[in-house]
Amino acid sequence: MRAFRRSGPMISMKLTDYEVTLLESLVEQFAGLLEADGETRIPADPFERWQAELDAPEPLDRSDPVIQRLFPDAYAENAEASEEFRRLTVSRQRADRLGQAEVVLSALRDSEVGRHPVQVRVIELDTWLKTLTAVRLSLAVRLGIQTPEDADDLDGLGEDDPRSYLYRVYEWIAYLTESLLGLN
Amino acid sequence: MVVPACQNGPVAGESAPAQPGGATATSERPADSALTGWVTIVWDDPVNLMSYVTHVFTTYFGYPEAKATELMLQVHNNGKAVVSTGGREQMETDVDAMHGFGLWATLELT
Repeated sequence: MRAFRRSGPMISMKLTDYEVTLLESLVEQFAGLLEADGETRIPADPFERWQAELDAPEPLDRSDPVIQRLFPDAYAENAEASEEFRRLTVSRQRADRLGQAEVVLSALRDSEVGRHPVQVRVIELDTWLKTLTAVRLSLAVRLGIQTPEDADDLDGLGEDDPRSYLYRVYEWIAYLTESLLGLN
Repeated sequence: MVVPACQNGPVAGESAPAQPGGATATSERPADSALTGWVTIVWDDPVNLMSYVTHVFTTYFGYPEAKATELMLQVHNNGKAVVSTGGREQMETDVDAMHGFGLWATLELT
């Protein structure tokens, strides 16, 4: 059976227990980044650790490059207008992203750690794509990917480089995204 | 397989175009220009997938596949593309939507 299959209004995604746990962890950390009261905890998981560094007591820490990437300036050369735009849009944008992350998390949990295929409702495809993209953008910031060459460099890293694993995860999220798009 | 679509300068200002006079206040312009004069620009970044960017242009703007692909390639090859035009309010809505999809977008006065 193929890993990704569409049947009417549903897409089935066969993921391993490891993959479900990984994705759940990544999305949870992404949601945590957006949540108002970034309660501090000391995560054992390496993914949680890198994300925890980004957690801030303030709802959105503008000095955080991940937040900067997810909530970029709307006006290239007008800081004041960008600030005003952000003031008007950020709460809803944040709530939307949290809601989308929750949809993804809920579907992942329903799979009972990969015992059943993960069910993606076709009408919620964009919700998934947005969340996967946001997670991937966060990873890209973490990996310092600013040019295509940066990605090429990471691709050539040896297994012993600590960034190598994170980069493989980044690539895997791309694979999930492409696979979902292919079924659209 | 990953085909990076976009090149993201971390600081928009670096590669950003000049904005005429920095004019932004709607009130400064005649009322009849409220529905025109602005553009939404999507900028290249090295993370978003080409297929995804095309998908966003088809689903959000309702562009046919061919036009969406052309715009995606323009972003990829030229570093940016004008993806919609209209009044300031509509362009802010479009930019907001693009940000929601994780694309790097700005609006400016033409």
